[in-house]
Amino acid sequence: MTAMMQEYFIGLEAGLEQAIREGNSSHRKLYTLELARLGKRLYSGSDTIAWCGVTAPFDLLSAMGVTSCFVEFIGAMLALTGAVGAFIEETDHQGYSSDACSYHRSVSGAAIKGMMPVPDFLIGTTNPCTGGLAVLENLAHRFARELFVLHIPQDDSAGNVRFLADQMREMTAFVSRITGRKLDKAALRKSMENSNRACGVIKEVFELAGRVPSPVTSRDLSNFGIVMPLFLGGEPAIAIAEAYRDEFRRRIDAGGHGKPGRKFRLLWIQNRIQFRHGLEKMLEEEYGASIISDELNDITWGPIDPENPFEGLARRAISIPFNGTIERRIDHLKKLARQYRIDGAINPCNWGCRQGTGARGLMENGLREIGVPVLNLEVDCVDSRKFAEGQMRTRLEAFMEMLDGREPLWR
Amino acid sequence: MKRKNGVIGFTCAYTPLPLIHAAGFTPYRILPNVDCPDQAGRLMHDNLCPHVKRVLDRAMSGAIPDLAGMVFMNSCDSMRRLYDAWKAVKPGMNAVLVDLPPVATHASIRFFRDELERLSLSLGHWGGAIIDDPTLAEGIDLYNRVASLFTTLREKAGRAELKGGSAALQEAYNRASISPPEATVAFLEETLNEGADRKEGEPGVPLFLFGNVLPEPEAFALFESCGASIVSDDLCTGSRLFSAMEIGNGDSLLNLARGILERPRCARTFAAERPGSLGDGIAAAAIHAGARGVIGYTAKFCDPYIARLPGVRDALQHAGIPLLLLEGDCSLRSIGQQRTRIEAFIEMLR
Repeated sequence: MTAMMQEYFIGLEAGLEQAIREGNSSHRKLYTLELARLGKRLYSGSDTIAWCGVTAPFDLLSAMGVTSCFVEFIGAMLALTGAVGAFIEETDHQGYSSDACSYHRSVSGAAIKGMMPVPDFLIGTTNPCTGGLAVLENLAHRFARELFVLHIPQDDSAGNVRFLADQMREMTAFVSRITGRKLDKAALRKSMENSNRACGVIKEVFELAGRVPSPVTSRDLSNFGIVMPLFLGGEPAIAIAEAYRDEFRRRIDAGGHGKPGRKFRLLWIQNRIQFRHGLEKMLEEEYGASIISDELNDITWGPIDPENPFEGLARRAISIPFNGTIERRIDHLKKLARQYRIDGAINPCNWGCRQGTGARGLMENGLREIGVPVLNLEVDCVDSRKFAEGQMRTRLEAFMEMLDGREPLWR
Repeated sequence: MKRKNGVIGFTCAYTPLPLIHAAGFTPYRILPNVDCPDQAGRLMHDNLCPHVKRVLDRAMSGAIPDLAGMVFMNSCDSMRRLYDAWKAVKPGMNAVLVDLPPVATHASIRFFRDELERLSLSLGHWGGAIIDDPTLAEGIDLYNRVASLFTTLREKAGRAELKGGSAALQEAYNRASISPPEATVAFLEETLNEGADRKEGEPGVPLFLFGNVLPEPEAFALFESCGASIVSDDLCTGSRLFSAMEIGNGDSLLNLARGILERPRCARTFAAERPGSLGDGIAAAAIHAGARGVIGYTAKFCDPYIARLPGVRDALQHAGIPLLLLEGDCSLRSIGQQRTRIEAFIEMLR
């Protein structure tokens, strides 16, 4: 099974490389190419592999020669390829509840069916969710590999930052013990410098995305904020970010990006729907509406000191908007809404996501305070078998018509 | 019986009751078994833990006592969201969210100790007494006394000698979770002094019960009416809230932190060096209690449990112990619907 996945990623990489060689390059192709390369490495059978939680320090692990990835990546990938159903069904057969998050069910199914490469070790994180940490514990048991847990505290008070920084130091000792490789200070410094450079460019990307009119189409920045951390520490992250920045600048300079009739600027809360569907196209084509901001498309941390990175890495993990109390998350959503001059927000309310849907009413109320309406959908963002596109279209159409009838929020 | 500084609400079995007691408050568990209109859906999705939603329903309906404050533990996503929602529906009420490590490493215990110190400061701001080491050690000692009495009471119930059976035991847990420990000690001693309740007829099948939130005494009566004898339990609303901890010398906050993290765990806390060991622990406890089968009861949408139940099933299968899994909404209604399954399971074990 893993050989099949390796073949898939090798084929994807080859196809994208050829397209780029033939002059058919784009920001999105560079991004997808790096995803293909990550997938190829994960399934290579030769790299040192770590399955992780979403907020693990991927650049630190990269500096230690470890190919690491959050497990939800597998769920998203299976959803995108349309193959997720069989893996989720496998978890049903094994007695996993259908009330759990489908990202995690599909990952569990992939592991049961031998689709996940056996890692060298696992790094669990308490942020963003309880379910994610439980899956990593299960995978550690299934693969009989060691698990290190990073407890991400709820806020960045001094003691909390020190606590997490110390855990990350301990994690490097754990990784060294397993891989036999010591942390190379020069490699770490370089990795942090690359991360800082990439994040600097990504900030430019987001600033350009917020221009009026926005150069962004709904697909451009889909999954960008959650996937880019996987590439941090390496040169490709900088190259991808620069390609996005240059493309958005080009569109702004060309002046043709604001389609006639384009009116609505949308914010997507939490994660996108991972399988292919027609809703974004409908929004673009029928309502001139674009998703120009995603909740995780933000750099919420400051530059990391390359000479002493652990405190900075800790601050970064704590700063992710899904962490902490909902007040903090709502403040961040409000900040994005103002920064991007958002007309309306869409929350898919991914089925099984307690940390997200558990606060949907409060997030809705919070954004309403600044005049931004929220559409709460009922979607399983991974399991396409449950997707009722017609119902979603009706809800979106009503939402867009409501927006159309409102006075513009931002002048 | 209220203590001089009033009542502090709580919702999770990881709550440091001796600390609240040492500050001069009575800890009062907001249990989900009070009928209130379903209003939590205004703020929370349907797929959220019914325990959390029912507790929020109580707050929204005003079906809670006069509280000096609420202590929430960051034990899972649902509990964290309950804290957020509680603040929205009770904006004027004192509330604190105490972070809770998922593992009990040396560093985690230190971190949790600091969280308990932060809680003690909050309790002080809410009118509580300054907590010193001797007072806290006294509080831990008192709760250990409660735990010890509950162990004896469980044994009595396990021998089918407790009047009212395991329903009465659950009544005692519920009463203890809203009473000062001094009153609980007196009540438990009195109950234990009552003579053995010898029953006629066929003895029940000894079963071990594990899971999360099941405070309805009638649910236990139902199990027994189906032919079960609950010989021991591992529930958030049962033995887990009242289990003894080592007092030790030195920093009492550190001892309390260690005691809470190292005592019997809910699924959300685990040993990273022994992943997947929840099932082994349940199997060992069931064997120790002399159970012939295990019933697992979990409130729906409980991520810590639903992710680990297949592993628990495998471990029990490996140990040769039959398992019945039930899921519900913490109410008797949802358990009652499963009577036929419970009866069939017990019949199979006879």
